[in-house]
Amino acid sequence: MKRKARGTGLTVYAAGAFLFLHLPLLILAVFSFNSSRFTVWEGFSLRWYAGALRDTQLTDAALNSLIIAVVATAVSTIVGTLCAYGLWKRTSRPLAGSLYLSLVTPEIVTGISLLAFYQWIFRFLHVQLGMHTVILAHVSFSIAYVVIVVIARLRTVDPTLEEAALDLGANEWQAFRYVTLPAILPGVVAAALLAFTVSFDDYVITSLVAGVNSETLPMVIYAIARRGVNPVVNAISALIVVGFGSLVLISERLRTT
Amino acid sequence: MKINAVNRRYFLFGALAPLAACSRDHRPHLNILNWSAYIAPDTVPKFESALGVRVRYGTYESNEEMLARVMGGNSGWDIVFPTGYIVKPLLANDLVAPIHRELLPNLAELEPRFQHPDWDPTLHWSVPYMVTAAGIAYNRKLDPPPKSWADMWDARLRGRLTMLDDPFDTMGACLKKLGFSVNATDPAQLERGRAEAIRQKPLLRAYLNAEARDQLVSGDILAAHMWNTTAQQAMDSAPNVGFVYPSEGYAVYPDATVILRESKRPELAHQFINFLLRPDIAAANALTARTTTTNAGARKLLPPDFRDNPTLYPAADVVARGEWAVTLDPATQRLRDRLWTEIKAA
Amino acid sequence: MNRLRAWFLAPTWTFVVTLFLAPLAIILGYSLLTRGVYGGITAPWTAESYQRLIDPIYLGILWRSLWIAGASTLLCLLLGFPLALFISRAEKHKNFYLGLVMLPFWTSFLVRTYAWMFLLRDTGLVNTILQKLGVIHSPVPLLYNDGAVILGLVYGYLPFTVLPLYATLERLDRTLLEAAADLGAKPWAALTRITIPLSAPGIRAGAILVFIPCLGAYLTPDLLGGGKSVMIGNLIQNQFTTARDWPFGSAVSLVLMALVMVLLFAIARGEGESLL
Repeated sequence: MKRKARGTGLTVYAAGAFLFLHLPLLILAVFSFNSSRFTVWEGFSLRWYAGALRDTQLTDAALNSLIIAVVATAVSTIVGTLCAYGLWKRTSRPLAGSLYLSLVTPEIVTGISLLAFYQWIFRFLHVQLGMHTVILAHVSFSIAYVVIVVIARLRTVDPTLEEAALDLGANEWQAFRYVTLPAILPGVVAAALLAFTVSFDDYVITSLVAGVNSETLPMVIYAIARRGVNPVVNAISALIVVGFGSLVLISERLRTT
Repeated sequence: MKINAVNRRYFLFGALAPLAACSRDHRPHLNILNWSAYIAPDTVPKFESALGVRVRYGTYESNEEMLARVMGGNSGWDIVFPTGYIVKPLLANDLVAPIHRELLPNLAELEPRFQHPDWDPTLHWSVPYMVTAAGIAYNRKLDPPPKSWADMWDARLRGRLTMLDDPFDTMGACLKKLGFSVNATDPAQLERGRAEAIRQKPLLRAYLNAEARDQLVSGDILAAHMWNTTAQQAMDSAPNVGFVYPSEGYAVYPDATVILRESKRPELAHQFINFLLRPDIAAANALTARTTTTNAGARKLLPPDFRDNPTLYPAADVVARGEWAVTLDPATQRLRDRLWTEIKAA
Repeated sequence: MNRLRAWFLAPTWTFVVTLFLAPLAIILGYSLLTRGVYGGITAPWTAESYQRLIDPIYLGILWRSLWIAGASTLLCLLLGFPLALFISRAEKHKNFYLGLVMLPFWTSFLVRTYAWMFLLRDTGLVNTILQKLGVIHSPVPLLYNDGAVILGLVYGYLPFTVLPLYATLERLDRTLLEAAADLGAKPWAALTRITIPLSAPGIRAGAILVFIPCLGAYLTPDLLGGGKSVMIGNLIQNQFTTARDWPFGSAVSLVLMALVMVLLFAIARGEGESLL
């Protein structure tokens, strides 16, 4: 009897916790359809969505974010997967330690150190801050995430499979390519998804190293949000939530089929 | 569905190629960095179509923000709009390209007093743009309404008050409240100014520049330390907003246009500045941004009710209380910067 | 194998050295130089930036950052533990619940912080509802204080405690609890004396995953604290942008890094199986 009551208490708590996690975003989305900019419901309207899609600064920034995220994801997933495999074969204390350090370094410190690095380099190479500096920065902080996810997946792989392949005459590259890689592919996809999310969403580091033509969506959202509440941000937020939610659901579907 | 890593890679790069291609625009570019809400909406499009160029227009909220972006000398911007007292620091850091007067026939349109300003008597480095001043914007339901800087330390404003996120302005307000000059260099006076600012901090909601405008209009805050242009923009949106030039005096800032030394398109930059000096364009800019123009030809084109607007073109006795902001010597600047960090951190 | 492995690790080494370690070295150098008059870096070498840190104003920021991060971590653990417990005990749909917990994480952190700006402002939903219910008569300033920052941080990082706690609770040996019940222990006692101590690794992992990002938080105190709740992250950002005092900002950054490493050592020492 007591156990049943505690079970119910726990369930009620869990429901409350889930509500806490999701309600703010739902409310944000609901009010993105409010025809008034104030928190009084005045009728259904799509004007904020229309406004957001018409704003060229917003759409340019969204496109930049997309390009940066895609390129950074591609590079960091490849580099990170290879690194994870190398570390799985035999660990390297300095490399693993550096990657771990890059994970726990606060974003603001990573950002300012990259800014200082770029400014210092520009004394010798006349390159400006731009898309490439942002992409490089994103790759550099995403690699650790990719390595963690892929290594976790590698630890579920039976190392004797590769040994068997080698015994059967394959070289090391072939063993990796045709035996291990297919086995960890779901992990690689999950890592890519994580890298994409982290890159698309990044504000702190990007705002410090972006240049004239590489404004990203988070930078624009932040600039608007700093002025106070604006339903256009609600609309963009709702689009982002739906967009990423779908991405996650689709990848889960792909993963389990 | 089997997707192997290689195919995914090709797909991604294949998808990127057309994206990269469509972002290539073969018109000449000009990158302009200006204060937010400081230009008419059709000025840039008119310039773009008149000369067949593409302009990238960015904005900032404070001189410090602009300085941080261009200090490295490789920011990518061509034109910026510093306040007058920032021109010397830009020069000191070798960031400014010289102005060629022969490329600016419209310079004659400037008011006489701006043909030889204090910060650049020969206009060799900068071209005056607009004039702003800082005062107090407030919600009219405040009774009695604020009239002096001292009123901004009133406890009735707790939590509904903002000051400018600008070291010169906020320190200036504190100095004026104490009866000193906004350009004070005496460390003792500056320390007292710092103490005043820290004393005020518990009442503040935030240090905000133009961002405070929407909050004032919506009623989130009751009083704001605000530039007269921003205040006028707020008053246009909401009749319940008022503006006053404090009784102790206030700072006046001329804003100038400057071409950055890193610019690879100085001739195009000159053409833009010349375009800005056209009376009709300058008038449109002043009207939209709600500012005081430095262009005599433009002033003639302004509608009478705008020309007589007390916020932007105040009466003589109010003007007499104003004090022009000047560039400070390096030692004072260092001290003020350090004090500002302490104020923000407290 | 070594040839292939060397090739595989080389790209990562390149990135790590050029885009992570070298920048940190540069920051170390900058922290020992002097600020130019209007910004930038000049000689001479000096430890002045570090000396400036020993000032009540900056120690106050450090203290505030520690307490906000600590409070947020504690709340995340307290709120996350029952949730993790629930999921670990669920008969079915475990993955669904985990997905439900992680879903907010996949949306933008900026968006999630903005959501609280939207809810907590004077004319926002919370104040409007409370006024309609008659609980208060005029808007209560819920935003722009330490509490709002903590709320924003807890909301953002709660999933980070749920996952490691769940992972640990999942592996808990149920027979231990049954044995305790057989010996007459009440459910609460079993919880506090068996379940919680045995989930220590999960608690430690969750604490690290939340405390360290919260310590270096920048966005949340900026948007929800309104410049009143200045944390170390805000100070650093400010020095590298509008204040243009790179030496001082670098010194603060390195102190933060040192703090993070000390904490990691203290909390995570003896954690056998590491993440990498």
